[in-house]
Amino acid sequence: MARVVFNNVRKEFVDEKKGTFTAVENSEFVIEDKEFVVFVGPSGCGKTTSLRMIAGLERQTSGDIIIGDRIVNDLHPKDRDIAMVFQDYALYPHMTIRENLSFGLKNLKKSKAEIEQQVKQASSILGLDELLERKPRELSGGQRQRVAVGRAIVRNPQVFLFDEPLSNLDAKLRIQMRVELAELHKRLGATIVYVTHDQVEAMTLGERIVVMSNGIIQQIAPPTELYNKPNNMFVAGFIGSPAMNFMDATIENGKAFVEGAQIALPQAVADGLKSYEGKKIIVGIRPEHLYGEEFAHTVSKEHTMDVTVQVIENLGADNLLYFKVGSRMVTARVHPETIARLGERKRLVIDISKLHFFDPETTQRIALS
Amino acid sequence: MQQKSKVVLVGVATFVLLIWALITIIPLYWMIIGSFQDSAASASFNPRFIPDSWSIAPYERFFNKTNAFRWLFNSLFVSGVLTVTNVFLASLAGYAFAKLKFPGNKSVFWILLSTMMIPSQVTLIPLYVLIINIFSLGDTYTAIILPSLVTVGNIFLMKQYMSSLPTSLIHAARIDACSEFGIFYKIILPIAKPGLAVLAIFTFVAQWNEFFWPLLVTRSSSMRTIQVGLASFKFAESTDYGAIMAGATVGALPMIILFFALQKYFLQGITVGAVKG
Repeated sequence: MARVVFNNVRKEFVDEKKGTFTAVENSEFVIEDKEFVVFVGPSGCGKTTSLRMIAGLERQTSGDIIIGDRIVNDLHPKDRDIAMVFQDYALYPHMTIRENLSFGLKNLKKSKAEIEQQVKQASSILGLDELLERKPRELSGGQRQRVAVGRAIVRNPQVFLFDEPLSNLDAKLRIQMRVELAELHKRLGATIVYVTHDQVEAMTLGERIVVMSNGIIQQIAPPTELYNKPNNMFVAGFIGSPAMNFMDATIENGKAFVEGAQIALPQAVADGLKSYEGKKIIVGIRPEHLYGEEFAHTVSKEHTMDVTVQVIENLGADNLLYFKVGSRMVTARVHPETIARLGERKRLVIDISKLHFFDPETTQRIALS
Repeated sequence: MQQKSKVVLVGVATFVLLIWALITIIPLYWMIIGSFQDSAASASFNPRFIPDSWSIAPYERFFNKTNAFRWLFNSLFVSGVLTVTNVFLASLAGYAFAKLKFPGNKSVFWILLSTMMIPSQVTLIPLYVLIINIFSLGDTYTAIILPSLVTVGNIFLMKQYMSSLPTSLIHAARIDACSEFGIFYKIILPIAKPGLAVLAIFTFVAQWNEFFWPLLVTRSSSMRTIQVGLASFKFAESTDYGAIMAGATVGALPMIILFFALQKYFLQGITVGAVKG
């Protein structure tokens, strides 16, 4: 296995009508050996382009890509010692599963015995033994998915690349395959680069997550760090479901004034925000850090806000309350037995240890020392 | 009300199609009936739809008096070779235009496509001069075959078809260490079989029915294709309509059989490239 390094990698696409479009902007990161790294972001953020550059299916406009000890800029995909699992599986429809699994090894001129052994090993890991003589069209979505992973495993590559491999599966199967992929990573001890637009997939699978937007890496961090310390409003809003709430506030005398509340800040936080005294600021709070007052341990008036509930969604395990603070819609994820009625005032308690502060101009997190 | 108007619409459509089918079938019927009668009956101004007597004499005369077997062989050979070259070259070019990135991909394709706007009559004389006067290929198979090795129409058809094939298969094969020609040969060709079958059938039919170019570049009877042979036979034996009908039936028969045997591909051919998927 091996590490993957992006050294100031940039990718531009030239379109005859639209002109030059930058898909990936000066990207820099190191994926360590045996690490499971997930690229996440909305459509068109450059995550798949980054993956395709690692695979050699796209040539970067500038910068270097290193796999293991080699700069692979000019290497053909077959010479990069990588294997890729595609979103639509890309199984060869006219070949049996056995032929699909062995196709790459045959092209690499491996001996028959070695091919046989590798196929056998991969098929037993993934439970494909019974399916080897079938054609892809005779398999279910989940089975095809496994074959696609199997085709990558038989190659025994340095790096596995996954391009949204679960997005064509239904919700139940997706959860099952997610668990299987996590187990597979443990078993193979492989370097895995995984692309998805699903932040739940990213949070559950990735040892580290690369969040991208508009071709720019917004943050690279382990899932809990992304959740607890997002670098900016984009990351804060993208990671977590429902998304983090943002409220316009003004800082005065150690308090954050938002519509409907005056939130007294802990001394350390107030000190950290001194340079924003009298200025506008964005306060972020995740929906799960707002509670109905009847379920809060201690209620201080300075840590509450009174809101008018506009929508209630019952999810079974939780209720989602929607209300407006200023011009922004805010969500609270509360206990299902929280008493709330549409159109009525409700007092919510804010967990002030979970507040996030962002600069409204730069949208960056305000570092509190 | 809606149901009623639908019934009327279907009725009208059926009637129109029935008339159209009759208009199409009657000449064919006439040809086949005529081929089993003597010449006088075939050319009669008072035709009988069900003949009084049947005879295979027109067929005997057709095969005995002409180079018919040679013409059939020539047609089969020329159509066969052109079908193979068109399928191979058009699928290669179509694949390249649809799936490979190379400088000038779009502009070369558009230049090729624009040549379809030039009527074939315009290029006929320069082509004739090139093949006969400059290359001195008159009265040879090469002269008949060379200009139609691959047609722009077929390249266009294949480009449209290849565009509908998933690109991820090509990428997967590339990562699977397959060579670029290997990708075409081992992955693309097998999955493009339905498209290739349609192309092959249409090319074969078109070449089998081709008349004008083989007429221009062949002189000797032994180099004629069946369509050209039939025409020359007509001029030589202008009164023997029975034999002419027999020849026409022999010339049309392979296409009729081909149509019934491969009906689903003919229907598919109409929609190839029109629908993605």
